[in-house]
Amino acid sequence: MDFNLPGEDDPRRIEVRAWFGDNPKPTYRQIAERGFTAPHWPRPWGLDADPELQYIIDTEIERTGMTPPSKINGIATNQCGQALLHFGTDAQRQRFIPPGLACEEIWCMLFSEPSGGSDLGAIRTSARRDGDNYIIKGHKIWTSIADHSDIGVLIARTDPTAPKHKGLSQFLIDMKAPGVTVRPIADLTGEENEYNEVFLDEVRVPADRLLGREGDGWRIVMSQLQTERMMMTQPAAVFGAGPTARELMSGLIQTGRIKDPLIRDEAARLYIEGELCRLLSLRSLSRRMQGQPAGVEGNLGKMIAAPHGQRICDLAKRSQGPGAMVRNPNVLPLPDKSFGRFQDWDYAYWFSPAGTLGVGTQEVLKNVVSERILGLPRELDPTADFPFNQVAVLRAAS
Amino acid sequence: MNFTLSEDHQALRESARVFLDKEVSLAPLLVPGADVAAAGHDRLWDKIVDMGWPGMVTPEAYGGLGLTYLDLTMVMGELGRTLAPSYLFGTLAGAWAIERAGSEEQKETLLGQMAEGKLKLALAVADPEGRYDHLASDAVATSTPDGWRVSGERGFVVDGLAADKLVVAASVEGERRFFVVDRAAAGVCASPVDWRDTTRQMASVVFEGAPAELLHGANAEIWPWVRDRLYLLLAAESAAVAQFALDDAVAYAKERIAFGRPIGAFQAIKHQLADIAGQVECAQAAVQYAAWALSDNDPRAPLACAMAQSYASEAAKDATYRNLQIFGAIAFSWEMRNHLYFKRARANFALLGAPSQQREELVQFLEREAA
Repeated sequence: MDFNLPGEDDPRRIEVRAWFGDNPKPTYRQIAERGFTAPHWPRPWGLDADPELQYIIDTEIERTGMTPPSKINGIATNQCGQALLHFGTDAQRQRFIPPGLACEEIWCMLFSEPSGGSDLGAIRTSARRDGDNYIIKGHKIWTSIADHSDIGVLIARTDPTAPKHKGLSQFLIDMKAPGVTVRPIADLTGEENEYNEVFLDEVRVPADRLLGREGDGWRIVMSQLQTERMMMTQPAAVFGAGPTARELMSGLIQTGRIKDPLIRDEAARLYIEGELCRLLSLRSLSRRMQGQPAGVEGNLGKMIAAPHGQRICDLAKRSQGPGAMVRNPNVLPLPDKSFGRFQDWDYAYWFSPAGTLGVGTQEVLKNVVSERILGLPRELDPTADFPFNQVAVLRAAS
Repeated sequence: MNFTLSEDHQALRESARVFLDKEVSLAPLLVPGADVAAAGHDRLWDKIVDMGWPGMVTPEAYGGLGLTYLDLTMVMGELGRTLAPSYLFGTLAGAWAIERAGSEEQKETLLGQMAEGKLKLALAVADPEGRYDHLASDAVATSTPDGWRVSGERGFVVDGLAADKLVVAASVEGERRFFVVDRAAAGVCASPVDWRDTTRQMASVVFEGAPAELLHGANAEIWPWVRDRLYLLLAAESAAVAQFALDDAVAYAKERIAFGRPIGAFQAIKHQLADIAGQVECAQAAVQYAAWALSDNDPRAPLACAMAQSYASEAAKDATYRNLQIFGAIAFSWEMRNHLYFKRARANFALLGAPSQQREELVQFLEREAA
């Protein structure tokens, strides 16, 4: 066992740093072509990097002060792009991966619907085959960055006569296609929107945009969510992003607010929790280095990290007294580096309730942890084995 | 970077597991009215000595096996999981004080005997109020023509009744020093304390001019150095207690039927268990990190040990509480083992100062780092 992270003098780090030295202001395409955007992917897209090299590259990108590609186009560079490697065709990979990794085409994930978020298997958006096309009809919601996306990864129902999880399929759709309407959602933060509603009105999608086979949709979704939750084990304000308990502690020390005995103990508690989340996320990296697949542990990690993020935002705010209720990004000083979307404590604080809703609510995660890790009985779903188009009949009868 | 236990670690843990599953029985403690005398410390200790555990982390130069703290936590975890009644805590605590404060000669003699299993030790640092850093109430040592003499009272001496020698903190002209005292010497009176955790032997000790051997080292780092290691020991036990309480409650929730279903099918139960699973995962990560940091002499080791003790002891407290609640009223009876774990968790939480104290140590560490 060795908890040392690759040091400053690690030869791999020196090599990565040398590249950034030779290319002081690289474009995201250059970074992608060098294999640094998704280093853990196989060549030619990545470098077949082990998690340690991946860690080095991520920290070196962060050091340049650039926003990491994963924070610009995470759906392409992480969960959904990866699904293309496993489930996509060669032509799909050639068409979609290069502009995705280069952050030239932004991707979004068209999953949740008004009628089903936690119960994702109950989505109603339909995809009906019509010659060489599918015709998509439905309504998606809570889609991050749909308003500046080019590609939508869509889950839709191709077989309404199959049970809910069996009739689903995934598509890569053109967000600029006729019939796609994106409407930003004004959220409670009062800041620029994160989420959108997406209306799909008879959108024609060529049949070669189907990912995998018809009916594979649920299996693909599960692998995507697993990857996404794993990333969210990292301790930070919201969804594994933004300031962490380390910045909370240093801010409280810098402002002298750490002298307040109640804040002091709570800050220490959160600092510890943050360090332990960090260990858990590094441990999943390490497990993958040992060749063990990313498993259900990401659910446990997010289950711990999401309320932790809410608590650090809360303490940052509470340390400020009534002034905390004034719109003001300067709650606590932050080091001069990119925290991605959550650049200040004020926005992170007001956004933080979403941390236990998005990418699996806290309740759904607890179900997964207790069922898949602890082996407790599964939740009952009377609709699970019933043809989806007859569920309404079932409901009426009960 | 490699966060995975090696095959050697796993084999060590497995051998400890097999041994303790065979040798430890909590049944005598579950007879109403049973106290620590029923635990069977002496019987188990001889076998623990045969396993070589007392000298595991003692440097080879002093007759030990020179294994790492990570190795030690493999064994401590199993001792915690089974609540094995043993003198290992007191013996290791005394040995660490000797390792840090003793002269070469003292270390060769005392640690050599300890590692062979011929010398049980205990560490007497706390005052009768349970304060470890309160120099004003330390015992007092005076130099006489016949050597050093120690007087005063020490509280919360784990394994103090069974130990052959006690390592005592006593002040000499306002400076804390460490002494070795024969427990059987004139002027030493060790009395049992009715400690609620009946798997642990606890004493208070009164010294009245007891003859003492001075350990040569004198600096303020001795106690913090020893304390970090004691944090690790307790944390390793507590993390294992938490894991046991979780596994035990999960198994029960799968078989206990109410309203026609296993109670583990109800979210009121399963969500609580999911929360505990999260805490157990973090507690174990904390213990491994602290053990690694100590083994590797990492400058952040004191921070890592404080994190481990504060987090794991709270996790054990929460997990054993939840365990008891999920079992329901039956676990309120003395004859069930649940309360032994419940009590060990609380005793480990309190013994070296509550987690808020370790958190204070952590903040001070970070404040120094920031300055």
